[in-house]
Amino acid sequence: MNDILDLYQELIIDHARSPKNFGELANKSHHARGHNQLCGDIIDVYVLVLDDKISSVAFSGDGCAISKASASLMTESIKGKSVEDVMGLFDSFHQMLTTDSELNSLGKLEVLKGVRQFPIRVKCATLCWHTLNAALAQRTDEVTTE
Amino acid sequence: MIESVSFDKITFACPPRKFEAGTPNIEGALGLKQALLYLSQVGLPAIHDYEKSLHDRAFLQLAQFKQIKIIGTAKNKVGLLSFIIDGVHPHDVSSIFDREGIAIRAGHLCAQPLMKRFGVQALCRASFAFYNTYEEVDYFVNALKRVFEVFKL
Repeated sequence: MNDILDLYQELIIDHARSPKNFGELANKSHHARGHNQLCGDIIDVYVLVLDDKISSVAFSGDGCAISKASASLMTESIKGKSVEDVMGLFDSFHQMLTTDSELNSLGKLEVLKGVRQFPIRVKCATLCWHTLNAALAQRTDEVTTE
Repeated sequence: MIESVSFDKITFACPPRKFEAGTPNIEGALGLKQALLYLSQVGLPAIHDYEKSLHDRAFLQLAQFKQIKIIGTAKNKVGLLSFIIDGVHPHDVSSIFDREGIAIRAGHLCAQPLMKRFGVQALCRASFAFYNTYEEVDYFVNALKRVFEVFKL
């Protein structure tokens, strides 16, 4: 039986309690809102892109500990990166959650590896990334995890 | 449903057969009959009383935790106990319960206007049926402590 602490590691609880980069961005170039229809988690992601790099990022919204922690960790991991690198990071992150692959270039994001043992929570962890994706692509259709 | 079918013409049977397409859910109907017979044998008043006692046993124990708010405290309730744990989203609660071998319902319970009425995003809900036992109620209450442990409440 997979231990629940594989999912709720201390770092995740900390990020959920005090998420980093939480709030709106006064200066933003991109924004999107994401919605997990299965559970009602809502997230707004704000980004300021300068010279094709993530200059600043923030998120706001309400949701479960996994969705909040994932969003917090996401904002920390993408600052300063190019948009292209961020897209690559999303792919790797998604792979980590949905396959058996052993990637080791994800830094702090690897703390969410335990989510793969709880398939029903994968969408909690990926909602923020789908929303970021939509923000960067400047899509205006509704962002969901479906 | 039909009387006759050819490539260029169709005639339908008379109602109500006209509206019965394919094979009806015969096994479902027979199963339902058996279920109703079973319930009658056990006795609905007895079922009601027992489920109420399960609910009350859980309710009294939950009411002692300051971290828990019970939602829905009408006088005549069926065996449903909805609650919210301060600072822990219901989906996190349900994942932890799942690992303890307990299934609860969590989310907006297909009742978003009711969530709004109670001022919550989502709720946890335990349902008690006449096949549950008092031991299971106590086990459920104990599992709550695991939630408190994980979230340091």
